[in-house]
Amino acid sequence: MSKKKKIVTSTGVEVRQKSLKLRIWNNRGHYIMFLPVFIFVLIMNYWPMLGIRYAFMEYKAGPGTPHWIGFEHFARMFQADAFWSAFANTLILSIVKLLLTTFASVLVSILLNEMGSLFAKKTLQTVIYLPHFMSWAVVASIFTLILSPSNTGMLNGMLRDLGILGSNDSNIHFLATSSMWRPIFYIINIWKETGWGTIIFLATLSGISPELYEAADIDGATRFQKIRYVTMPALANTIITVLILNLAKVLNLFESVFVLYNSAVYDVSDVIGTYIYRQTFSVARPDYGYSTAVGLFRSIVGCILVLICNQASKKVRGRGIV
Amino acid sequence: MKKKFVSAAVSSALVVSMLLTGCGNEDNGGNTGSNNDGNSVESNAESNAESTPTESSVADNGGETPEGNSGYVLTDLKVMVDGTVNSVKQETEAQIKVREAFIPQLEAAIGEVIGHEINIDFEVGDHSKYNEYVGRKFVSEQYPDVMIMSANMMKQYQGTGLLWDMAEAYDNAEFNTSGRLKLTGINEGMKDSQGHLYGFAPTYGNGCVTYVKQSWLDNVGLNGDDIKTYDDFYNMLLKFTQEDPDGNGVNGDTYGFISAGLIGTEAPWTNYTAEFWQDAYPSIIQGEDGVWYDGFQTDATKAALERLKQAYYVDKVIDPDSFTAGTKQAREKWWGAEQSGSAGVFTYWAGQWYKNVIDNLAKNELPSDVYELAPIAEIQNSWGGFLNREAPVWVIIDDGDGDDSREQAIFDAFLATMMDGDKIQTLWTYGAEGLEWSTEASEGFTLNAGTDKEKVYGPYAEGEFHQLPSVAEPDTKLSTKNHLDPLLVVSPLTNGYATVGDLESISNKFFTDHCVDAPVSPSSETYSERSADIVDARNVAIAEVVVNGGDVDAAMEKYVNTVGSLVEQILTELNTAE
Repeated sequence: MSKKKKIVTSTGVEVRQKSLKLRIWNNRGHYIMFLPVFIFVLIMNYWPMLGIRYAFMEYKAGPGTPHWIGFEHFARMFQADAFWSAFANTLILSIVKLLLTTFASVLVSILLNEMGSLFAKKTLQTVIYLPHFMSWAVVASIFTLILSPSNTGMLNGMLRDLGILGSNDSNIHFLATSSMWRPIFYIINIWKETGWGTIIFLATLSGISPELYEAADIDGATRFQKIRYVTMPALANTIITVLILNLAKVLNLFESVFVLYNSAVYDVSDVIGTYIYRQTFSVARPDYGYSTAVGLFRSIVGCILVLICNQASKKVRGRGIV
Repeated sequence: MKKKFVSAAVSSALVVSMLLTGCGNEDNGGNTGSNNDGNSVESNAESNAESTPTESSVADNGGETPEGNSGYVLTDLKVMVDGTVNSVKQETEAQIKVREAFIPQLEAAIGEVIGHEINIDFEVGDHSKYNEYVGRKFVSEQYPDVMIMSANMMKQYQGTGLLWDMAEAYDNAEFNTSGRLKLTGINEGMKDSQGHLYGFAPTYGNGCVTYVKQSWLDNVGLNGDDIKTYDDFYNMLLKFTQEDPDGNGVNGDTYGFISAGLIGTEAPWTNYTAEFWQDAYPSIIQGEDGVWYDGFQTDATKAALERLKQAYYVDKVIDPDSFTAGTKQAREKWWGAEQSGSAGVFTYWAGQWYKNVIDNLAKNELPSDVYELAPIAEIQNSWGGFLNREAPVWVIIDDGDGDDSREQAIFDAFLATMMDGDKIQTLWTYGAEGLEWSTEASEGFTLNAGTDKEKVYGPYAEGEFHQLPSVAEPDTKLSTKNHLDPLLVVSPLTNGYATVGDLESISNKFFTDHCVDAPVSPSSETYSERSADIVDARNVAIAEVVVNGGDVDAAMEKYVNTVGSLVEQILTELNTAE
């Protein structure tokens, strides 16, 4: 026997809730409009997730597969030093890159905001946005040429011209030296992505009430003090939001590393994406089950990061991001 | 309550659907997998008897005459190729034009032989990522009927039952029984210990030759014929590095050697840097006694690493870009207009590429004479010459229905005719008739007219074979050959259609005079799946020693610690199987 639930309206009147069937019928227009989206999401977002099962299967090209093998792939993965190295590198490279590019974006945004000439500001903005639109393959080609260890390498040539490299010194193989690879990776990322990252901060800055600056002027604040006490507090919420949103994506690192790394620096550069790529496409007959298992692990860690970020967001901003 | 019930029902449905889908696959046991073309592959060869016939096979039996004695009428054929079949590429307008002419000609010629029409669908995979391309197609069960594979790829698939054993068809093929087959060892050598043949190689594999800029030799006072040993070779590299071989007045702004990597990305691994590796083979290899062992863990490899370290890290006679360079970067740096920073020696493919390197030097207005260096004594005395890689092969996908008539029909229609010595082999060799070659009388043509490279071709009499100007670059180049190189083919053309004396032919002859077959690739379940781990560990060891000047023994110890047990497992599999 179903018992109808009572609800209280905003005016304090107690009414019986209509049955689900009746409510659906009454709102059938909305449900019909929602249906295509629901089907689309199911097919495009949830149906592919069924592929997760391959993480528990041997899945190679040819007859006899896929078939269940339980947690064998995970056992192999957790025993592989290369996997843990790649996992650690993924976290280090992503998080440091995120912090540096966010910091650089904030800094550049504030500097741009302080510029008096609108023309100069717009021109500079356009110039610093441009690298974002270059593919990683092109960026890698440019920096490979600049950092080349051969006689034609631009940076080595400059160091030699400046006397930093002596006649008996060898050219520096920047991209094949473990101690240099990560800093170079960060610099290239900052060069490429800082401009794009400023957009959201500049939008926030443009929303700050001019009255706050006028009041600061009246109080005799210097330009630095205005930045410190007006601009930065206004930006703080956006910075945290950007950091939190991007933190959830930190494990999706592949292309930027793939085009710049090599076997001399696997110890500091190999990330989960490149590890999966080699395990899958460098062998004659890959087991896609293993690749899926590594990918699933990455997704689970990514999911955990999202939840942590959500909690962090609730604490810092009073509301979550999901 | 209802909400909870709905949530639980949806969750349960999702879980059940996942399990059912998975179980469905398990139950299939790989016995049947239909692709979206209606093609299908069933269980492996060992369980053919248990297989059920596929619902739809590749070809429709349209009541036509069956091919040969197979009893099967083949009317449609799906072919997957890499970038080595030039006349079916379709990336540029010129390529599409050639493709649209070539395929109907091939269909008509094959149709004439088999007595009815045939429709051939060519699918061209990304050449540089063909392995990846094939893997993706196979795992999604989109199988062609016949396709190109590298020898290594064939070895990894031959035990799966996917590939048809064509040993009997090959033995009985007309080109074989008629005595037209000249290089009998190529395909015989591909048979496994039980005599199964899973791929047909229409040519031998080809390999790399060491090219030296003649002008650089002249400028440092060396004669290529005098370079006989590694010491001679290394002395040449030192001179190219320390003196002024490009004649720009600056000493020491050039390098001796450039290569695309210090080790290759596929077997036979050492062919871009053969003079340094010499007798070493840094991969799993079968010894003369038939026992498989890891060639990387040998003294020969350690000595090779020391040589590379000396050349790359200490003396810097190898362009340091070689470590990360791809083939394109290495090639373009070698023949680039700016010779400061370039190198004098470059080891690359014989045949067509000999012509390409000369053409590109000339295009950049550089002295274009190139000296082909014969194998140095250390290579000659260990291997017997440059390594001729295992030949790429054509394989036929076995539908696993236990009936070989379809596969035999494919062999007869497609592979046997490829070696007919006449019309079809000419198409496979030179491409589309009328666009890329002709036998019609003509006044001929001139290439590079008005330049110092001007060359007049013709006139040609009726019936005289000649290649035509390239469709893509009609003013400057002859058309390139299609798939078969007439000098590498196992069964030559019998119609006399040949381009004798051209640069490709000269280079091919030079290579064949100085080559030996490369070691065969291993075929093991674990190797086919885990070779990336071994390659990674090996590349790290090479980088530590050669690029960073590390200790060979320490690097080798790290290699053993990383993949030693995996290598042992693979060796056990290989030696047990043998």
